[in-house]
Amino acid sequence: MGLGLPVIATFLAKRTHAPNITIMFELGVIDSEPIKVGVDGLSDPRIWYRAKIHTSFADMLGSVLHKGLVDVGFLGGLEIDPYGNLNTTLLGDPKGKFRRFTGSGGGNDVASNAKRTVVIIRHEARKLNKAVSFMTSPGYLRGNGERERMGLRGGPSRVITDKAVFGFDPVSKRMRLESIHPNATIDDVLSNMNFEPIMPDELPVTAPPTAEQVRLIREEIDPEGMYAG
Amino acid sequence: MTKLATCAEAVASIPAGASVALSGFATARCAMAFAHEAIRQGIKGLTVSQCVAGIDADILVGAGAVDRIVYGGGSRGRSGQHACLRRSIEDGTLATEEFSSLSTTFRYLAGSLGLPFIPIRSLRGSDILKGLQELDPSPVATVNDPFTGNEWLVLKPLTPDVAVVQVQVADEDGNAWILGPRWDNEEQAKASARTIVFTERLVSTEAIRRAPERTVIPGFRVSHVVHLPFSAHPTSVYKVYDFDAGHIKLYADASKTPEGFQEYLDEYVYGVKNHWGYLELLGGLEYLSSLAADPVLGY
Repeated sequence: MGLGLPVIATFLAKRTHAPNITIMFELGVIDSEPIKVGVDGLSDPRIWYRAKIHTSFADMLGSVLHKGLVDVGFLGGLEIDPYGNLNTTLLGDPKGKFRRFTGSGGGNDVASNAKRTVVIIRHEARKLNKAVSFMTSPGYLRGNGERERMGLRGGPSRVITDKAVFGFDPVSKRMRLESIHPNATIDDVLSNMNFEPIMPDELPVTAPPTAEQVRLIREEIDPEGMYAG
Repeated sequence: MTKLATCAEAVASIPAGASVALSGFATARCAMAFAHEAIRQGIKGLTVSQCVAGIDADILVGAGAVDRIVYGGGSRGRSGQHACLRRSIEDGTLATEEFSSLSTTFRYLAGSLGLPFIPIRSLRGSDILKGLQELDPSPVATVNDPFTGNEWLVLKPLTPDVAVVQVQVADEDGNAWILGPRWDNEEQAKASARTIVFTERLVSTEAIRRAPERTVIPGFRVSHVVHLPFSAHPTSVYKVYDFDAGHIKLYADASKTPEGFQEYLDEYVYGVKNHWGYLELLGGLEYLSSLAADPVLGY
């Protein structure tokens, strides 16, 4: 998984409903127990603390991820399109004027090889876009089975924003609104994105975090509020 | 046989235009003393390869030592994008062969095993792959699996002229231990024609023999051993010292503009004679001691 909110979410899952998950970082760190997770980056040794295994890319991304043993990959990004294709590379025109960002790292590898991925992205129109400037990590490509035909494993199952949760239509593979958060309205959700998601017949409200989950995040997982404000 | 060399001697063994694999990852175990000396010696035309870009690649790119980078992307983390890399990619002055972390690793792995190519599931359908297919010659192709008939994307091996690897412990023959996660370092070293080891600690071969299971880089692949404390500063070396957050911020701020970056080089690279001068400029032992790692935490 990448750094930031995915780390907070994963350590929260481990502390609550999923105590037996194995947490893996691409550079070769397995099941670490950092004292705090609000760290400088994956290369910060604070996130490696108390790991069970220190290994390598070839082992972690190769014999675990590429072989097909990763159940859930957690990704973030600059932009995502209606089919869950993710951009972490650049904004603008790749052949002309553009602003360069991080690129793939292990992102493309996770998106191509995990059994499923979950994307966390800020709910802004410039981030939820009709098309991405650069497709770093494939979602369902243009939908309708193109991903499977390409020989890619899995695909995005959920896109979580600060206003809503999205899934994907089982056939067309276009993004579908699954629920909206208690603090958001439908208008809020739709007017802050550049494409129309598939609307379900009934739209539930996302279950809010429990008091204990909030306490764990604020007091134990990210007490300095580096990621979860 | 002793392969002990000064930093200047090891750098001088690398000709202009060479391909060099660097051991850094963002702000960890970057080959900084190597990069500074390469800049002082005015090496040009390098091809640098790395799974995730470190500050070692960024400073070499900023100083104009690099013509081409083969890498999987990368930033410093929370402290932001590698500004020199970003600038050179945006203005088109740096040729880029862009992969992902695993595809770069697989290219090294194929190189280390002497394989003609290696299949991979990553990259398919992405704009990363389109970019690689447009290169001439392209480092990617497709083949049909002779057993199933399925089509696979395959990558060309990556076999740099030299790997420069920053380690914690080595003997004078170059048998080296890497403590903590190793990212792509083992495959880099084994894919390259030779390896230059920068080590924080120099130990006897007897000490290596007493824990041979820890040896990641075999001495027979190593041409030079440079024993230089704090040679990854301002990046971290697990269990030896933490990254220097203050100096990384100073570098990050300076490198935001070409002028600021030049001032940084003038002060910290060109303004000193060698790595010892750099350490003195930082504040010497009194300053560096504050970065020493706690043995339990490792940072």
